[in-house]
Amino acid sequence: MIPLSHFLILGAILFSIGIFGVLTRRSAIGILMSIELILNAANINFIAFEKFLGAGDGLGQIFTLLVITIAAASAVIGLVLIIAIYRNTKNIFAEDINLMKCKIRPLNPVISCPCIYGKYFIRP
Amino acid sequence: MNSGLIQQLSNSIFYIIAGLTVFFAIRLVISRNIFHSAIFLAMVLMGVASVYLYLDAEFLAIAQILIYVGAIVILFLFVIMLTASIHDRSIRQVNKQVLISLVSAAAFLFLIIKVINASFQQYPGPSGAALSVKELGNALMTTYVLPFETISLILIAVLVGAIVIAKSGKK
Repeated sequence: MIPLSHFLILGAILFSIGIFGVLTRRSAIGILMSIELILNAANINFIAFEKFLGAGDGLGQIFTLLVITIAAASAVIGLVLIIAIYRNTKNIFAEDINLMKCKIRPLNPVISCPCIYGKYFIRP
Repeated sequence: MNSGLIQQLSNSIFYIIAGLTVFFAIRLVISRNIFHSAIFLAMVLMGVASVYLYLDAEFLAIAQILIYVGAIVILFLFVIMLTASIHDRSIRQVNKQVLISLVSAAAFLFLIIKVINASFQQYPGPSGAALSVKELGNALMTTYVLPFETISLILIAVLVGAIVIAKSGKK
């Protein structure tokens, strides 16, 4: 039988690769894929701990099932947001999505920033 | 064939699968073509499903393949196709933080492997018998019925929210 530590090391390697992908990918789709990788690494750890240290009540497997469902839901919402952003800006690179950021400091700083629909707004 | 040889064979197949999974995961992260990344994601998810099989979680392995490979990867492919001109090779796919991200991820991995080697060496075998699908379903519908219902509520919310956000704003 394969020892517990080898499963944990596989999960750790996948987690690190996912972290690297989240930090370095430019496109938002790539970031979402790396997040799926991270969630899968966590699932491997859950099932390995349930198999080796669990009380036999299946808590690890049920928790993994819930994690898979949440991951599917988050992927769907993320992809829908990407489609909405692409429809507005024709761009899915995460570093260029700055629609809600003020480009020019407003002339009167007491008034709240009127950027998005005001005259200070510069469309990217 | 004696059972020791079969055990050895199955162990080596596990290490081959784990190596392939890590290889595909690295290709997923560094690939320039994001369409290839989605295909590699499907490969990684199937490798993780076979790791589940080694841990006696057959239902989860099947659910992993059905939900992830069958639904989520297809959804990723749809979105990649819908956002045109993103998947051509001339566009840079990584940002300027590659080196520092590589260093920090490798340092994290080194730390975690040290911790695992220090803490989890004394569990050589599984603790109990494998859980059958029937017992899993019983537990899901009796002890853990509240998280189950909460998950169904979240799924309804996601369904409605996805339709509302994806709908065009123009009348």
